[in-house]
Amino acid sequence: MAEKETPESAMRSEYQRRMLAIRAEFDAGATGGETIAARSKAMDDLVAGLWVEAVKQTPALRTGIALVALGGYGRSELFPYSDVDLLFLLDSKVSEKDVKLPIRRVSQELWDNGIRLSPQTRKRSEAEKFEADNVEFALALLDHRLLAGDTAVYERFAKVGLPKMLERDGKAISQGLADLTADRHKKYGDTLFHLEPSIKDCPGGLRDVHVCAWLEKLAAAGADAAKDGAQTGDSNSGLAIGDREEFAEAVEFLFVVRCFLHYRHERDDNTLDWLAQDAAAATLVGQGRSRAATTDAAYWMRLYFRHARSVERRLIQMLETVPTKQKGGRWSLPGLTRGRRRNEPVPVGYRVEGGRAILSPAGTAAGTAPGDPAQDPEVVLQLFATMARTGCLLDRRSEERMSQALPLLSTHLEEGPVLWRHLREILLGQYAGKALRAMHALGILELLIPEFHGIDALVIRDAYHRYTVDEHTMVLIDTLHGMEMEQTGQMAEWATRFGGILRDVQHADLLYLGALLHDTGKGRSTGDHAGESARMAESVAGRLELDAYESELMMGLIRNHLEMSAALRRDIFDLETVRAFAGKVQTPEALRMLTLFTYSDINAVHPDALTPWKAENLWRLYLATANYLDRSVDDERVGASVGKELVHRVASVLPGKRAEVEAFLEGFPERYLRTRTPEQVRLHFEMAQRFDQDKVQLEFHYAAGTSEITLLTRDRALLFSDMAGALAGWGMNIVTADAFSNRQGIVVDTFRFTDTFRTLEMNTSEHSAFVASVHDVMVGKLAVEKLLTGRRRGRRKAPKVLVQTRVDFDDLASTHSTLLQVVAQDMPGLLRAVSLALAEGECNIEVALVDTEGETAIDVFYVTRNGSKLDSDQESALKQALLARIEANAG
Amino acid sequence: MQKIEAVIQPSKLDAVKDALVEIGVQGMTITEARGHGRQKGHTEFYRGREYSVDLLPKVKLETVVSDEMVDKAVTAIITVARTGTIGDGKIFVTKIDEAIRIRNDERGEMAL
Repeated sequence: MAEKETPESAMRSEYQRRMLAIRAEFDAGATGGETIAARSKAMDDLVAGLWVEAVKQTPALRTGIALVALGGYGRSELFPYSDVDLLFLLDSKVSEKDVKLPIRRVSQELWDNGIRLSPQTRKRSEAEKFEADNVEFALALLDHRLLAGDTAVYERFAKVGLPKMLERDGKAISQGLADLTADRHKKYGDTLFHLEPSIKDCPGGLRDVHVCAWLEKLAAAGADAAKDGAQTGDSNSGLAIGDREEFAEAVEFLFVVRCFLHYRHERDDNTLDWLAQDAAAATLVGQGRSRAATTDAAYWMRLYFRHARSVERRLIQMLETVPTKQKGGRWSLPGLTRGRRRNEPVPVGYRVEGGRAILSPAGTAAGTAPGDPAQDPEVVLQLFATMARTGCLLDRRSEERMSQALPLLSTHLEEGPVLWRHLREILLGQYAGKALRAMHALGILELLIPEFHGIDALVIRDAYHRYTVDEHTMVLIDTLHGMEMEQTGQMAEWATRFGGILRDVQHADLLYLGALLHDTGKGRSTGDHAGESARMAESVAGRLELDAYESELMMGLIRNHLEMSAALRRDIFDLETVRAFAGKVQTPEALRMLTLFTYSDINAVHPDALTPWKAENLWRLYLATANYLDRSVDDERVGASVGKELVHRVASVLPGKRAEVEAFLEGFPERYLRTRTPEQVRLHFEMAQRFDQDKVQLEFHYAAGTSEITLLTRDRALLFSDMAGALAGWGMNIVTADAFSNRQGIVVDTFRFTDTFRTLEMNTSEHSAFVASVHDVMVGKLAVEKLLTGRRRGRRKAPKVLVQTRVDFDDLASTHSTLLQVVAQDMPGLLRAVSLALAEGECNIEVALVDTEGETAIDVFYVTRNGSKLDSDQESALKQALLARIEANAG
Repeated sequence: MQKIEAVIQPSKLDAVKDALVEIGVQGMTITEARGHGRQKGHTEFYRGREYSVDLLPKVKLETVVSDEMVDKAVTAIITVARTGTIGDGKIFVTKIDEAIRIRNDERGEMAL
């Protein structure tokens, strides 16, 4: 028997018919906005119709109760499978139990229609009271709309009760909203660049659009209260027209994509998974009639990220207006908490105020080019360096000005060392990731490094990566800098241990530059992204005018950036694995850089990708390779069949002198050639050619941090200790040193040192006196003891870490030398003491590798006595002599 | 049905996985592990500091197969993971009473 049609069943059929029609219109090209408004209207009619029937059955419902749409429904934005938030608002005279039954009947009808209804029944006094533990309800109330029922009840709520609540508790609601938003973003790793994002909850998603709207309403309510009911201002008044349009486009794009996802999944599932991305791209979702429309999913995702980025940008601007209690996370302003440090540059053309970097108004900044500081690369890049150093954020107006000034900024931009100086300052800042992301969002990073454009919001699908290629790069840089900070969590121990390696890296700037560029090759489909990235990095290095050594160090890191991960899949306890891997990295500096890079690269793939197990294996491989590199130095020397490629590189910068070059290089450890550029070796070669004029050749480079002096001469007894003594006599603290000799007995000793008493820093005129004095010591004109006696011993600070002196020998590391490793508390005169003990023990230093790690000096020497390895008695005697000398120096 | 647990060298994982897939093993679970059997750890020195390696890195592979597949699977693992030196690992085989596929409640070997 056919069921008798009731008014309710007729309404149900009508609703279903309209749902099908709305879907058909969407498939035929209706916009997202039109689709959600249409469902909202259909819902309005259904709810109103059902209420009319309910009132017919219970006439008492005619007064004292209003049906109010809240949340998305209140905004008339009902997505195909979204929940429907419905408030039954009761006047104080109405008893809840009197209306319970009709409310249940209306709700039941809606549920029977397949509608996911979230009904709430509240007295007006309850609804108008803010509960701090239910911020969500207060937020839902912000989007209210009368659907049916007693208009007077609604009016009292909307015009009196709610405004009063907002006036009273608006700040607390804003604060709660900011906290909820920060917590939600944290769940998504504080980034919008997910490979399979939730377009509702991810940063830059629709929830953020709502947050912007709520913050506007809350701000307007506050302003109204301040003006005592005066006209509400335009909520978008702070936005430039271009930004307003961009934001509106982004919102419509998110609307249409969410409708598409709901219809595709046939439920309220907002995950933009890979299959959905393919389908969205194939059907040109959100692209309208754009001529640039594409069916390529990767490019379609870039469209999504562009829109999400504009939502996020707007959100961050809006959150600036919230007087938040600082609680960490993305909107924390570390720059607030400390002033400018002594050596930091005075900002010119901008200022930092309240944790925001703010550009000076056009034409007012002294010390800048005339015109707008937003167009002056010096100002803009210095501002980003400040952001990177302090973690402050970019002020909203300044951001807009920079965005508008971009074309002029590009015309004023200078490349070469000036650009590198700025870029390295940004890269080395503790909050480099923040600054680089801001630069990337504004297009300034692409202006400096156009190669980065190819990976902008690029999605590469694999089973491991969670983020887009550019965001992966930023997370990698964050991880590297994170090692310098205090660590918590299960990886804390490992991050601290690897952080120790970071402190030893001499070219941290190149490590960060390599990190920034390591995946740029993914923008080109060549199949070898490491090689492609290295090629692209070569052109960047050229534009920045890095020297050959720096370029090769950075490009080698990029070229080899997958090698350590590959070695981890082999047996890391097998010497062959270590030997092969050492052959790829070649130098300790490159090993340190690649180790840190690999640690951070794994961490940036996915939040769970780096486990203590992986970190431990990485550490083992690092140790084994570092030890291998130190222990193979003496045996791997340039000869007839070894290092030909290295010799060739040097010969190519000395045309017509191949035979002399080969003779000069023969017998040097390969390490010497691998740690110098061909230009530097050419200089050493030329110094050696001048022995007939002066048998002691010195090359000195002063730098504010670590200076360097290189000695070329013929080997003799006490040479190394005299050099170490001369430097100690001038109060220089030797940080690293190496000493190599060739078959002819020519030594190249290089010492890098810091100027403990700032003698060279304060007196430029002393530079030549310093070199002359070292020269006099080395030619025997000046006794090193005299220099040392004249030296006032500086007051030594108590060491932070006590290092136990340790002397070890290894007879197997080299075929013809004994390896000696001395580990001791680093202090002035130590190297002189050690090298004196060696000279007194009649030991010849074949190779020296001197290093400092924090307060620990680690000196490795390959020594021989009368051309042979030391026997055990000699080792024992030498050990006692070394310990005595070191103790005497410490005393 | 029987469960095969193999503790092997991490460097052999890819080869073992390939060998098992080749003979028709459908699924497996891999866990990063540390441990030692007769092969004890050792001590390394680096820059004057001692680093003791008490527990060596291993991976544990678990798979449940039908009774007739057990020998084939064990042989495949041994063939690929054996180097003949201490530290190659171990294989444990245990009986399994039931397997249930959560998605559709399939039982027994159907669920493997």
